[in-house]
Amino acid sequence: MLFFKECKKIIFSIAFLIYCAVMILFYFTQFHNDCSGPIDKPHQDNMINYNPYGSIIKEDPEIVMPNAIEGLINEYLRGNFKAYPFGFYKSVRLKEKQKNQVAEIIFELSGITPEELNSFEDYEEGCYLVDENGQVTYQEAKTLEFDIPENLSYERFRELMREVDKIIGGGSDYCDEFILGNFSLVPKTYEDALAEYEEFMQEDNLIKGYARLHCDYMGIFLSILPIFVVVSFLNQDKKSRMQDLIYSRPISSVKLIFTRYFALVICLLLPIILTTFLADARVNNIYPDKNLNHFVMYQYMLGWLLPNIMIVSAVGMLIANYSGLLAIFAQGAWWFHSALATGNLTGSIGKFTLVMRHNNLMEQDVFYAQWNNIIFNRIFFTVLAIVIIIFTVFIYELKRKGVIHGFQPNFKK
Amino acid sequence: MKNKIEIQNVNKFYGKKQALKDVNLVIHQGMFGLLGRNGAGKTTLMKTLATLHNANSGKITICGVPVEHAKEIRNMIGYLPQDFSMYPTMTVKESLEYLGVLSGMNKMLRTERMELLLKRVNLTEHQHKKVKALSGGMKRRLGIAQALLHDPKVLIVDEPTAGLDPEERIRFRNLLCEVAEERIVILSTHIVGDIEATCEQIAIMNSGEILWKGTVSELLKNAEKKVFTANINKKYLSQIKKQYIVTGMLVQGGYSTVRMISENKPDLQGVLPTEPNLEDAYMYCLFCHGCVVAGGDI
Repeated sequence: MLFFKECKKIIFSIAFLIYCAVMILFYFTQFHNDCSGPIDKPHQDNMINYNPYGSIIKEDPEIVMPNAIEGLINEYLRGNFKAYPFGFYKSVRLKEKQKNQVAEIIFELSGITPEELNSFEDYEEGCYLVDENGQVTYQEAKTLEFDIPENLSYERFRELMREVDKIIGGGSDYCDEFILGNFSLVPKTYEDALAEYEEFMQEDNLIKGYARLHCDYMGIFLSILPIFVVVSFLNQDKKSRMQDLIYSRPISSVKLIFTRYFALVICLLLPIILTTFLADARVNNIYPDKNLNHFVMYQYMLGWLLPNIMIVSAVGMLIANYSGLLAIFAQGAWWFHSALATGNLTGSIGKFTLVMRHNNLMEQDVFYAQWNNIIFNRIFFTVLAIVIIIFTVFIYELKRKGVIHGFQPNFKK
Repeated sequence: MKNKIEIQNVNKFYGKKQALKDVNLVIHQGMFGLLGRNGAGKTTLMKTLATLHNANSGKITICGVPVEHAKEIRNMIGYLPQDFSMYPTMTVKESLEYLGVLSGMNKMLRTERMELLLKRVNLTEHQHKKVKALSGGMKRRLGIAQALLHDPKVLIVDEPTAGLDPEERIRFRNLLCEVAEERIVILSTHIVGDIEATCEQIAIMNSGEILWKGTVSELLKNAEKKVFTANINKKYLSQIKKQYIVTGMLVQGGYSTVRMISENKPDLQGVLPTEPNLEDAYMYCLFCHGCVVAGGDI
């Protein structure tokens, strides 16, 4: 009963109506526009660009080893290492002792001695140059040449890379999660593209591809917009001076907070259910002769997008206890950082990435290469959301008894 | 179960400021008035009884249940806060429905109680009106209805008549007296007239302390032979105000009929002792405790 009353309060608020309007508008301008017709079968004769079929991950030691070793040498010479230890970008500068350890590893990987490494001062990054005629050429990086020792096995190479990652602090280009995506991408051949197309056109894969694209688009705004609905909903109590009336009622804080939370989550999900329905209808319209499993769209929506709604709502409920503005600011900062840190639009999914991106109908191998991360990520945010709500109940109970006002304790005698 | 509220040595601090100082009170069934000026600590005490504040020390039991047992206490009390308001876009009926759900009442009981209370507070025909469209008086009556919704044993009303016109105020006071027949009603106010018209048992608060507690007649008795009236030439008024606690003044031409408080008969021409009213008695109480002096407050 309370659940429906809270839903009614949410649904008839201006913030919720704006949220629905923005989400639906975003759906039409992005997914709907993007999916205007069936995917074209690749043609061999349309090869007018470099790399026309995109890239593919290929775990080939011949490719990954030289690329990764070159990357490591370049980062060493540059003096800093790129890492995403918790899904956020970090530039790591190593201490002398750690640098020596990395130099030793480079020696084992490439035969370049630490002395050679440290005395090389002409390092320059690779870059594109435009000449007077507007011709673009790529200038290779000025770096150390190396040969991979013949006795270096692929297993030992991976082991050393893990060691480097550990020295950097985790989340570097050389960790197990990222190494293949960073150093083992090869241009797709026509045959690869055709095989991928044919695999994609299998009914199960086709609907999954569209489901991923739908989630990718909707996930961007779902990681920020719900906060406005949450804050507006909770502010109703303050604005209407209802707090004392509610606090003095017999209802338990657990029941009240959890009911409100689930009401928020369900209401916030409503326009997403609608866009999922529209997306499914759109795909069905594009491929009328395919026997598609319509539940896939909804499964992806629940698995991918529901945790976003849950975590943003939970963070909102916790911080809005103190200040609605602070909740908006904090969530905004997190969203902005996550959206920026993502960088790559395809298969960019770390263990703690809030805004998961895979802005590609195909390349499902890139997506599935991150599968463990994705599962961890979604379970992590779902559990975290529940933990935050339990903490919110605790804070609310203290506020209700006047022990704290906002987050400022009032224990003092 | 004991049908009374016992407050023993209760202290409450806001940081360094002491809002309640060693408060001791026993409140029995019927109307109980808590009188004091703004900032005297009345709202803090009301909120502490309503489980919205925690006392730093002391003991409070409501009908035998310690106030720390918040859930049990919340089942027992109805609270009308000083700045009562509801969601403005909800109707009167929806508001009561919502608070009824928060009180854990089932639908049948809610419907029954709502019907009864709306009738009692004379809001039946306004039940589909939005809260934002109600007048101040209607809002306060809705406040009483919501506080009585779960049929509490104790009703706590904090400054309920502030801002009401005289007619609404009288109606509201009568309503409180009616509901006090079957429960404990604590009325906190700084308006002496409200207490005079409704309460027999009262307590006077100042700076977080209970200055005095007892019946209205006892308070009046204390002020007997301490209130005087005299016709004073207007030019001596300022001097009189400096010497005595003036509780009333009626200007008639060049003279004023002045009502004043004094321990001894003032040395003024034509001064006569008069029967104290509750306002005089209240001022005399403050005067005796050094809370007011002739010529201004301390």
